[in-house]
Amino acid sequence: MIARPTIFLFAVFCAVWTIPQQAAFAHGGVVQEDDLCVIKVNYLRAHFKIYQPSVSGHEQFCEDLPAASESVFVMEYQHDALSSMPIDFRIIRDVTGKGRFARMEDVELIGDLDDITVFFQPAVTEPDVFTVVHEFLEEGDFIGIVTATQPDSNKVYAAVFPFEVGFTGVGYWPFFIGVLLLLQLQYLHMSGRLKRWFKGGSKGMAAIVLIVLVPFASAETFAGEGADLRVTYTTPAGPPQINRIHSWILHLETADGKPVESARVVVEGGMPEHDHGLPTRPRVTEELGGGDYRLDGMRFHMSGYWEIVVTVETDGGDSVVVLPLQL
Amino acid sequence: MRSTSLRTIGVLVVAGAVVAWLQIREPAPPPWTESEVAVLRSLWLESLPALPADRSNKVADDPRAAAFGQQLFFDPRMSANGQIACSTCHQPVRRFSDGLAKGQAIGTSKRNTPSIAGSAYSPWLYWDGRRDSQWSQALAPLEDPNEHGSNRMQVIRVISSDESYRGQYVSLFGPLTDLADVARFPIAAAPGLGDEWDAAWQAMAEPDRVAVNTVFSNIGKAIAAFERTILPVSSRFDDYVAAVIDADTERQQLLFNDAEVRGLRLFIGEANCTQCHNGPLLTNNEFHNTGVLSFSGEVPDKGRVGGLPEVFADPFNCLGDYSDDPERHCPELEFARTGAELVGAFRTPSLRNVEGTAPFMHKGQIATLGLVLEHYNEAPDAMIGHNEAKPLGLGKREIRDLASFLGTLTPREQAQFDSM
Repeated sequence: MIARPTIFLFAVFCAVWTIPQQAAFAHGGVVQEDDLCVIKVNYLRAHFKIYQPSVSGHEQFCEDLPAASESVFVMEYQHDALSSMPIDFRIIRDVTGKGRFARMEDVELIGDLDDITVFFQPAVTEPDVFTVVHEFLEEGDFIGIVTATQPDSNKVYAAVFPFEVGFTGVGYWPFFIGVLLLLQLQYLHMSGRLKRWFKGGSKGMAAIVLIVLVPFASAETFAGEGADLRVTYTTPAGPPQINRIHSWILHLETADGKPVESARVVVEGGMPEHDHGLPTRPRVTEELGGGDYRLDGMRFHMSGYWEIVVTVETDGGDSVVVLPLQL
Repeated sequence: MRSTSLRTIGVLVVAGAVVAWLQIREPAPPPWTESEVAVLRSLWLESLPALPADRSNKVADDPRAAAFGQQLFFDPRMSANGQIACSTCHQPVRRFSDGLAKGQAIGTSKRNTPSIAGSAYSPWLYWDGRRDSQWSQALAPLEDPNEHGSNRMQVIRVISSDESYRGQYVSLFGPLTDLADVARFPIAAAPGLGDEWDAAWQAMAEPDRVAVNTVFSNIGKAIAAFERTILPVSSRFDDYVAAVIDADTERQQLLFNDAEVRGLRLFIGEANCTQCHNGPLLTNNEFHNTGVLSFSGEVPDKGRVGGLPEVFADPFNCLGDYSDDPERHCPELEFARTGAELVGAFRTPSLRNVEGTAPFMHKGQIATLGLVLEHYNEAPDAMIGHNEAKPLGLGKREIRDLASFLGTLTPREQAQFDSM
């Protein structure tokens, strides 16, 4: 039997734990938001993760690292602006004495960073994702400094994040669990139940409640709004086959059978079950007349279910038609 | 009397045990359904279409060019130290691979050496597809400081200074530019290849640079004519598919054991292998991120997103001045696609002879086939980009069955190139 106050306390504990999470675990520019570790370089944000492939394989770390070993720092941009900005990356030994509360101001107070720099990657523009690799030779407290420069205004944005290498702590959990147990014991003691249990030998049951937060990825689905438009296609070189680049002839007509002419047609597509698009970027290259359009550069690289999304722009407005295709 | 009945009981017990064992033993794999036979046929080497024409290379199908290219392929004189040939890494005895994590030549090359067999079928070459023809690919290692480490000027001087080569070249491509005037044609020169060689190249007159590039591209075209003849060799798997198509169950049983049949069934079914490893070459030659760990000491390789700008910038690409196709018919290049999903994506390698190509993946990160299969079974999050593969939830035995099946893709008989 679980005492009702236990549930109450657990709920309070959960609330207490989740609300200030950001503050408690935010080491400067790197914060844990929901399921995602994020680095904030001023208003520019990137998904931040650190790997230690040789000791921890695919396990991701947000800041503190378990071992002094080869560490790969990855920033996946959430702002396109970062992909055109020169970014440099520096790791210094933490001499601020502030530990995980070190901020940019503390770093600015240090005169010469070079003496305490253990890693420096000079500014580079990385269009897709920013990565650096550094092998830590010793455990200790470090500070990471990421600097991005706005190419037009030369404005400099920086993020500072203190972290520990050789981190074996388990955070604040044991403390909270300890408090929780004490409160529960206190309650049982006060209510006299503890005494009764010891006398009557009734068996207390312990239950462990595990709350698993499953990250939700919102799947984007294409809704076919083709009510006012009909799209059919033919493939002059025979039925579509995988691994062959080929052409389609699209035929567009209105719901009442009139060919749609002088339309701007954009074709995209992919495999919704596999989260990927077409391997090529097909394009309508020619309007053939009578509502027919030549679509070049079609290619499929897997058997299975594909969706081809045809966007038709005319003076009368836009419509989207999804063509399902089983290969 | 008593001992006889005991013996009878003993015999009965043993017979019972045998019957029970037969009962609980793995049932024989079920026969292939019609749609499964169709999939098997699509993977069969006999289904491989004729070599696609290479319109950008007019000597692609000329046997004299192939013979010339073969000599060049094995000639170490086109390297900086006179010791590296194409065959240093693409070794015929290893089906044109080298058995190393990364190629070793003048230095260590960037990635794992892929086999050449069947590469004429691929619209893209290299793990990141940074070249779009066999001939433009063949030129790149010659000027890679870690591979041949040479430069185009020195390479074409090897042709002009060798009487036999010069004769073969002239009969295939016409007059060879006279390189005697060192003021016009420096001993060493190449664009963007170290200060000295680059300066020498920039100092050359434009028509002379075009002349040098033309000879250089023709060398690639001859090598490609040879490489086109290197094709995958049929394996036990292909014999098995033939037996399946003939509905010859007895022959099927002689060719494949139960584990191999179970592995094949997983391969074309539950394990999702044929999503990428499809067609008779067991590759779609497209680019996929499968979440492989970075190579020790390196940042994660960006793969295709790095390769695509390179192939567009390559002066020897399908749209470039050195293509032999007057129409510049280049749909692969014209409709090539990039984007976030190609971050960390690499070209699917052929699985033909996969067992003989260890270590695996683009930098040889995974040592054994069993570990590769376990990686796909887990499908962990990619370090950069997004892993397209989904966890499979296969058991240990299923992984072993798949590995057994992959062993049947090894060529049965050694190829015609063994004598090389």
